[in-house]
Amino acid sequence: MSEAPVLTVSQFVDICNQTLDTAFAEIVIKGEVSSFKVNQGKWVFFDLKDEESSVNCFMSLFQLRMPIEDGMTVMLRGTPKLTKWGKFSFTIREVMPIGEGNIKKSFELLKAKLEKEGLFDPAKKRPMPENISRIGVISSTGAAGYADFIKILNERWGGLNIEVAHVQVQGLGSAEQIVRALKYFNEHGGADILAIIRGGGSVDDLAVFNDELLVREIAASKIPVITGIGHEVDESLSDLAADLRGSTPSNVAQILTRDKKLEAARINENILRIKSLLEDKIDRLSSDVDSNIDSISQKIIIEIDAINNKLESTIKVLNALNPEKVLKQGYAILSGKISPGNVVRITTHDKEINAEIKNVKSR
Amino acid sequence: MSNQDKETINQKIERLNAEVDWFYSEDFSLDDAITNYKKSIKLADEIKSDLKGLKNEVSVLSKDFSKN
Repeated sequence: MSEAPVLTVSQFVDICNQTLDTAFAEIVIKGEVSSFKVNQGKWVFFDLKDEESSVNCFMSLFQLRMPIEDGMTVMLRGTPKLTKWGKFSFTIREVMPIGEGNIKKSFELLKAKLEKEGLFDPAKKRPMPENISRIGVISSTGAAGYADFIKILNERWGGLNIEVAHVQVQGLGSAEQIVRALKYFNEHGGADILAIIRGGGSVDDLAVFNDELLVREIAASKIPVITGIGHEVDESLSDLAADLRGSTPSNVAQILTRDKKLEAARINENILRIKSLLEDKIDRLSSDVDSNIDSISQKIIIEIDAINNKLESTIKVLNALNPEKVLKQGYAILSGKISPGNVVRITTHDKEINAEIKNVKSR
Repeated sequence: MSNQDKETINQKIERLNAEVDWFYSEDFSLDDAITNYKKSIKLADEIKSDLKGLKNEVSVLSKDFSKN
């Protein structure tokens, strides 16, 4: 027998596990799922295999946040472990299906489950706040989608307070980071709306947004959530759970802000409208005044004409009664006492005559 | 500092909208219209100048979200 220390079986298992921990604190492996089963509604067991090898995998059901099934290719994050029964197993922390077909299948399975629970119910969506001044952004600050989002935001509007939670937006572990950021904003407040931003990418890159825990966290957020993930055609479960969805990060920036150039144009248009309205009202008033003056002038002219006509006819009557006119016709006026011997005055058209009366007799 | 100095741009825009609405309302009177028109132009110029100068404040949180 050699000098090697003698260990109990348990000590041997412990040392093996410590060695595995040191060598592979956390590793990611890829393979095909086989013999998938759920025991007691709590524990998930399956084999992960490739053409030559196979490894037993184990995880709790609540950690399985993207549905998987036999034949799917998946990526696993976890740690290798030797059980106390001497069986080698891979303890999984996170599973992510890979490949378009697998992701789509997983997406459909989870979508059906969450839809049944009412997580995507349009009636539960909150409207976008009216005046947004504080935006909580959850994105990777190095990503092109984030840069587009901030660029459009700055071009369109200003005065916004934007707090950014820098997180990983693809690959294993990213869903948890986004969940932590959502929790952070919900616990600390300070945002009117949360924007989850991620530019375009492959189906594998965007698969993180179909993580069940993340989707539930979005649906449960007290602060309204808007998503701008990938392009128009990329629909994720996070999009379905969010209160609003922008087709791209730039589109989210457009939804969240007014365009200051359009706003300035609208203000100019309003000022021109009230200027023209004011001019119209003044013109109308001035035309009313002119028409009143015309009407008064007309009335005065009619009055004057009436007086003139009356005056003319009075003058005609007076002229007809004028004694001079009678004298001109050959008549004379006799003035004085009519008795024989008296001198009377006779007035004709052009003469004054004194004449003595010789006699008076009745006709 | 007066109350108007503290007004946000959105509040100023709302105030301008109310001023414009007055011209279409039954409260309109020619006596007040010129004064209100001048006030509206002044406010519009102020908003346009504010819009030009507006900047967003972007801050990245120092918290490391990769850790619990």
